[in-house]
Amino acid sequence: MMQKCFLFSIFLGLLASCINEEPKNTECDIEAVSVHVENPIEIFHHEYDTLKVVGSASDQIVFLIRSHENVSHLPLNLRITLGATAYIQESDGTFTEFKNGSLVDFSGEKVQMFRIVSEDKQWNRTYSITFEHDYPTEGDFTIDFEDYNLDATGRFYEWSINDPNVASVFTDGKWKNGNPGYKLSKSSAKPMEYPSVPIINGGPDGSTCVKLETKDTGSFGNMVNMRLASGSMFNGVFDVSNALKDALKATRFGSPFAHKPVKLTAWLKFEPGAVFQDRKGNPVEGIVDEPDAYVVFYRNQDESGNEVMIDGNDMFTNPHIVGLGRLPHNVNEDGSDKLCNTPIHGLTSEWQFVEIPVIYTSEVDQTILANKGYSLAISFASSWQGGYFQGAIGNKLFVDNVSIYCDKDLYTDK
Amino acid sequence: MISKSNIFSLVTIFLLSITVSAQDSWEKWGPTKGLKGAGILVRAGYTLGGTTPLPLPKEVRSINGFAPKGGSTIGVDFYKMYGKRWGASLGLHFFYEGFHTSADVKNYKISLTMDGNTMSGYFTGTDVTNTDMWGMTMPMLATFRMSPRWNLSFGPYFSTYFKKSFSGEVYDNEEGVGYLRVDNPTGEKVNIDRSNPATYDFSDRMQQWNAGMEICFDWKACRHMNIFGKLDWGLSNIWEGDFDAISFRMYPIYATIGFAYRY
Repeated sequence: MMQKCFLFSIFLGLLASCINEEPKNTECDIEAVSVHVENPIEIFHHEYDTLKVVGSASDQIVFLIRSHENVSHLPLNLRITLGATAYIQESDGTFTEFKNGSLVDFSGEKVQMFRIVSEDKQWNRTYSITFEHDYPTEGDFTIDFEDYNLDATGRFYEWSINDPNVASVFTDGKWKNGNPGYKLSKSSAKPMEYPSVPIINGGPDGSTCVKLETKDTGSFGNMVNMRLASGSMFNGVFDVSNALKDALKATRFGSPFAHKPVKLTAWLKFEPGAVFQDRKGNPVEGIVDEPDAYVVFYRNQDESGNEVMIDGNDMFTNPHIVGLGRLPHNVNEDGSDKLCNTPIHGLTSEWQFVEIPVIYTSEVDQTILANKGYSLAISFASSWQGGYFQGAIGNKLFVDNVSIYCDKDLYTDK
Repeated sequence: MISKSNIFSLVTIFLLSITVSAQDSWEKWGPTKGLKGAGILVRAGYTLGGTTPLPLPKEVRSINGFAPKGGSTIGVDFYKMYGKRWGASLGLHFFYEGFHTSADVKNYKISLTMDGNTMSGYFTGTDVTNTDMWGMTMPMLATFRMSPRWNLSFGPYFSTYFKKSFSGEVYDNEEGVGYLRVDNPTGEKVNIDRSNPATYDFSDRMQQWNAGMEICFDWKACRHMNIFGKLDWGLSNIWEGDFDAISFRMYPIYATIGFAYRY
């Protein structure tokens, strides 16, 4: 024992004595931005809209203000990486150090540029901050998936919403999906090998549609016990930073919407994958994978004024949900998804026009509706259990011409 | 912890052993027959140590836990004395050694490639590593008889492994901080926590061979029995030349204490 202790202490001593001075921070993020206004609810739709938490991958920060309001000089606060320094771009193009609480001119949707420099001065990031007007929209809309391009890294496709009538329903004006996560696990994948891809001339009318396909995530997916990635398309936020930690929570659905949706329609086509596998990658007999399509309408603020956003855990069960429509599935007695080999979704390998009505379980308050107190979530997935990383690799859902129809009588512009 | 008194007592033992050597006979404690001659030592010992970068890179912020796995060594040395003081030995030792460690790291550069896919970036958080190595070491040592009862042997060794593993996990540290910045410090931040840690296994990327220096003290406790302590200090990187998942070289440093039977 003595000998053991002695040897052990030599080793530990050797190691401990070698700990070097702490290196300086290399990161340079804006983690959150907030503004102070006297009467937030007059300028913004929600009190919580005065604070924006900034994802690690985003560098464009947009505050939405009511269409008839204007902001000028606002005291701005940035929460940045410890030790980093913030600079604001002056009108002559130079950057000067920015002190929290300083007044910044955001009038007329002016874009203000900020640069954050890391503590070790080796790294920097540039961000834009704007206050944009949230102009009223018509309600009904159709999306045909024609506006796609490669992302900034050139690795995968993403879909933008250019129609100003629809863009505000999509956070950052884009459809979200798991492609940014797939990029991390399969760096060798070509853009057309990702779970969500455009298919030129693939639509029912010969235009471009999207193909959502459940894909193997390879060795890295295996490393983190996430062996497949469902192809998906939804509006909301895919928080890639927390996708490993809690994939269900990292997938957040919906954006504020000032109309009451009554139905979702879409053209859909489905090709099943061969073998259903569980999270550990083991094949499961007697279960076939199913695609999913749903529309959820929910109150986006709780009683205490906090933001509510449904996620992969509670997109059908959150108590703030007022209306829901979903592709038909078998359910268990407690209402949960029933995995089986007799699906009732009715989709085939031929294109068909599908109507999904929104069934309301609570009243929609017209005033709250007009003040964007409800959010609309639209979501498509090639594997309905993809959030739990189970499904059949090769399951394919083709989607085109998605429309939302709203109750016209309820719409009033505030 | 290592203390001055420990070192002091070791030094005292050395000095004592040399001063008392006058009373001991070089013949009595020599090789079994006379001062010259050859023989065999059969060694069995308890091995402890670890595999570590040296010096510790600044990215390593603290060692939270370090637990050498109680390893063992058995082997034989063939020795030949050329005179009263000098000799040489050639050994063949079989060993099992390993360790478990947990360290907090900051901006620790990693780059993993598996099946043609690469993930690289900078990790901040906790890294837990487990290593096991089964193998064979061949020390080629020069022996210096410091006194009738004390031998000091020093020289190079070569090791080869029958079985080796180096695997572990990364996740958040005690403060809940655990993330990878993809590609560089401005890349996407991927949080990793202990409920779903990222695991790694670099066993296949370890070198088959390792070379280093061995120093061994033998004390002749009785006519046929030695007590020995030796240190194998690896000087060749345990990783294959093109391995870049870990941005620094690592060396095995293992010590053994045990008994040897002298024929």
